[in-house]
Amino acid sequence: MILIDKNTKVMVQGATGKMGSSHTKRMIAYGTKIVAGVTPGKGGTQVHGLPVYDSVKETVEQTGATCSVIFVPPYLALDAGLEALEAGVELIVLITEGIPPQDTAKLVAQVKQRGARLVGPNCPGVITPGQCLVGILPGQIFSPGKVGMISRSGTLTYEIALALTDAGLGQSTCVGVGGDPIKGIGYQELLEMFNDDKDTEVIVLIGEIGGTAEETAAEYIKRNVKKPVVGFIAGVTAPPGKRMGHAGAIISGGKGTADSKIAAFKENGMHVAMTPSEVAVMVAEARKQLAKA
Amino acid sequence: MDLYEYEAKKIFSEGGITVPPSVRITKPEELSKVNFGYPVTLKVQVLAGGRGKAGGIKFANNLKEGQELAQNLLKMVVKGSKTESLLVEPKLIIKKELYLAVTLDRERGCPIFIASAEGGIEIESSDKVVTMPIPYPYHPFVGRELARQLGFTGSLLVKVADVATKLYKIFEEKDLDLAEINPLMITEGDEVLALDGKISVNDDSIGRQRYFDGWQIRHLADLPERERRAKLQGLNLVELDGNIGILCNGAGLTMATMDMVKKFGGRPGNFLDVGGGSDQEKTLEALEIVNDNPECDVMLLNILGGITACDEVAQALVQFIKKYPERILVVRLRGNNQDLAEKILAESGLKLIPDLEAAVKEAVEKSKSVSKKPVGAKA
Repeated sequence: MILIDKNTKVMVQGATGKMGSSHTKRMIAYGTKIVAGVTPGKGGTQVHGLPVYDSVKETVEQTGATCSVIFVPPYLALDAGLEALEAGVELIVLITEGIPPQDTAKLVAQVKQRGARLVGPNCPGVITPGQCLVGILPGQIFSPGKVGMISRSGTLTYEIALALTDAGLGQSTCVGVGGDPIKGIGYQELLEMFNDDKDTEVIVLIGEIGGTAEETAAEYIKRNVKKPVVGFIAGVTAPPGKRMGHAGAIISGGKGTADSKIAAFKENGMHVAMTPSEVAVMVAEARKQLAKA
Repeated sequence: MDLYEYEAKKIFSEGGITVPPSVRITKPEELSKVNFGYPVTLKVQVLAGGRGKAGGIKFANNLKEGQELAQNLLKMVVKGSKTESLLVEPKLIIKKELYLAVTLDRERGCPIFIASAEGGIEIESSDKVVTMPIPYPYHPFVGRELARQLGFTGSLLVKVADVATKLYKIFEEKDLDLAEINPLMITEGDEVLALDGKISVNDDSIGRQRYFDGWQIRHLADLPERERRAKLQGLNLVELDGNIGILCNGAGLTMATMDMVKKFGGRPGNFLDVGGGSDQEKTLEALEIVNDNPECDVMLLNILGGITACDEVAQALVQFIKKYPERILVVRLRGNNQDLAEKILAESGLKLIPDLEAAVKEAVEKSKSVSKKPVGAKA
């Protein structure tokens, strides 16, 4: 597993809002060690039986939390993220969609400077099945196992996780990196972590149109990743110049097409699935090969 | 949100970047307002690119000639984008042209300058491009370094650097995706001015930019009717030329569903993401928008209910089917409250297919049998 496990102490920034509150409840029910909520002005109250603090600094001091999941509105997200960094939070999972990209760029620069990690924004979060869920992923779809997943999407990740789980292929950790053009943690860092993770045997990489991160990741995989990687790209039928739901899913100036990404995957020795269920078939095949070796 | 040239220039000018004198006209008669003498340049104000090649820029030597040209230019449509007005400027003598832009670089994760000592061209086709990541917070030395790398010295280095700094300030203050001056021109007297420009405002940031309050509606004018309707409802619709209407939750899953339709021999008619946790009303509006596409023969609804409750989607479907009983609909629902959804749909005679591939294949199959019918046979 990577990033989170059963011992990870998690705070929720924006736990008293509508979305924050309902997902705090779900995360607690899943077994995540949620230690507190943070809402300025609501310190001293409670949410789902947990203490609420006014600041992240106070929360870290009182609880020893090292991870924060953020549900605040888009224009408050930069401030919330910087507050978490300043308080020494090591892992920030930023769920919020619709953050001005220049705000994200400013946050990403600070995250790098401090050597912390940011997952998101506009992402479903991270799950280590059976241990810890940080974000909005539906826990019941995932099961513990040996497949590491990295994805730019939400529901498509669930679709593929479902296919894996249905086929008896559980997951070590699944990370939704988010659908924005500017974001925190990317493919390469996660590939490196999964490659080193003893609980992960096969890696699934779910990309989509827009940008060139998949092409770069494919080259990285060829050079550095020893484990089999199954790739899937969404958006083969997407027309150029149109934003396909995610802020980052756009083919512009001829760059970012599905064809280019699929070709890069193939050229660099990856397995490429053309449907979500085919991902499970290819993962099963890769595991069989590993068992033989 | 893309802005018209005259709007971009107004913003440049307010930010301290020199622009040529100009008059904006919506009728040929208004050309008499020109007070900077002839010859003049008349430029159609459209949101599409490539207006020069399309004949949207003309020169006039006198008022009469100008009015004749304006008559036709005002009626012009460039790549589906209607002429909103004309911008009239003096015809200037150019000593040198540059390209200068600030945008966000997704691979580097920060703003960058893109500049070229060749202006007035397609930046993609220039081999003299300088790109420079912009550190935060900004300091003017970055602009000076850019001007130096473009080959400037002396007072021009200082002037070009100053424009770069001002352009970045505008980019940051107004939450832009793109601030582009093309060309940035240098006159015989070494004046530096923005001859043409393009601004794209970040859609997610408009809510906090009071400056652009009320601008959005008129900048959606070029969108096809249904895409515009969807946008105003907070739905993301992209129409294609196929006959299978697609509705899903989540952008990635919607794209994957379109791709599967094509893989199994069908033609996707659109991309429509109804979003996560959509309520009944929003789902119904989404169904209506796809239903209104005359090219659509079959509708395929694919919902994977992680957080979204399938029974709420089912309620919307029941309402929809009551209203449009003849519509061919293939429904894939799986996840939260699937049993409840199944029950609700069974009562209205709709079959639910939990397997995605099976659902896509069924939709493709049905779209083919519908297409074979002669025109007019469709309900």
